[in-house]
Amino acid sequence: MIGNMAGKWLIMLSLLLSGCVTSRIEQSRDTATAMAAGDAIVILGRASYNDRETEESFTDCIVDELSSGGNPITLVPQKEFKDDLYPWFEPRTAPTSAEDLSRLFAEPGVRDRIDESNIKYLAWIEGDTVTTDKGGSMSCTLSTFGGGCFGMSYWEQDASYEASIWDVDKLTTAGQISADASGTSYIAGLIIPIPIIARPGNAACKGLANQLREFIVGGG
Amino acid sequence: MQELVVNYQRGQRTKCLELLFKIKAMRILSVSAALALVMLQAGCLTRSVTVAGSLPTPLVQRIPASIGIYYSEEFKSFEHKEALPESGSYRIDLGGQNLDFFRNLLGAMFAEVIEVNQPSVQEGDNLDAILIPEIVKYGFLVPTVSTLTFFEASIEYQITVLDRSGKDLGQLRIVGYGKAEGAMFGSGEAVGEATMLAIRDGGARIATELSPRIAALLADPEETKGLAQ
Repeated sequence: MIGNMAGKWLIMLSLLLSGCVTSRIEQSRDTATAMAAGDAIVILGRASYNDRETEESFTDCIVDELSSGGNPITLVPQKEFKDDLYPWFEPRTAPTSAEDLSRLFAEPGVRDRIDESNIKYLAWIEGDTVTTDKGGSMSCTLSTFGGGCFGMSYWEQDASYEASIWDVDKLTTAGQISADASGTSYIAGLIIPIPIIARPGNAACKGLANQLREFIVGGG
Repeated sequence: MQELVVNYQRGQRTKCLELLFKIKAMRILSVSAALALVMLQAGCLTRSVTVAGSLPTPLVQRIPASIGIYYSEEFKSFEHKEALPESGSYRIDLGGQNLDFFRNLLGAMFAEVIEVNQPSVQEGDNLDAILIPEIVKYGFLVPTVSTLTFFEASIEYQITVLDRSGKDLGQLRIVGYGKAEGAMFGSGEAVGEATMLAIRDGGARIATELSPRIAALLADPEETKGLAQ
């Protein structure tokens, strides 16, 4: 009874302390998709040599979402896939378009290795979460008579990601899904600091993963 | 009565001394903690980084040649030490992992690979060529220096190619680069990961870019285009 009450309070508190996030998911389909029993997909984070790159935590989140729930999808881990196909999916050598796959499949052993893993689709995830604005001020003091925090600070984050789904059999792009989410987080100092955290990255991950599942399994 | 007052005063004094001792102990503790924090902030600690990771076998066309590889002691046990003013000292031990990576890489690139003990052709060696890999430069950057959100590492390799008679055909140079997301309490781990990715990138370039050049060179030793002399 007490545990149940505490659980309800905890849910209420987490809802109260969660910041608002607005998100938008868009999809465009080029070809029909289908997954047969035993078929698998790979989620790959697009790595680059510039200062922005898809966070590993984001691709991990997509993998967690797709491999759980009532209708889990068989996934080949990104690390295992890259090791098996080394050196063809490294940041420097990875194909940049589905058309590039035919060039890659001409390399000895590549096609066979992908077929052995029953990989039907590759989903490239591109994008990142950036802090677009921040402000306010808060100061905390601690003395022998006690302490506390006063003031307020905020930061706004924008998460923008795109999944490009490649059909490994047809060597074409099956479609794209984009997810944009933004939210503002606050920390209010009223003696104790009260955080109200918005997680646009998490919202974008869940939205993108759900849409990706629907896209691949749904068929179109 | 007088004795009672004296005892009371003595008791009070003992209590005062105990309190004073407690305050002193607390002060020493807090000063030590502050000092440790300052030392940590100033980066007085040396982070020992051991590079580790998977050793993928490259999926490339094997060059039909018998190759000798000379790994120098410096290459085998390569270590980099650097003190950064804002984030402390680092000791990065990458020799072992780099050697394992090269053994795996070159073993998959050529039909036969033999490790030789000298960087020259010996009598009786029935080799098509000898390769001598070296690490020319290694460097890394941490977010406090680069102001970016990730750790970076780069390795410059030089591979000297000797033909079957021991003639120096020139050097091939490549740079491997890696970057890893920063961790709040694990800068050593992130530097290690970035270094591993740099080794991996260097290996990818050797397998995809240098491999055809070495194959062309073995087919025609006069074909020294792209080699530094």
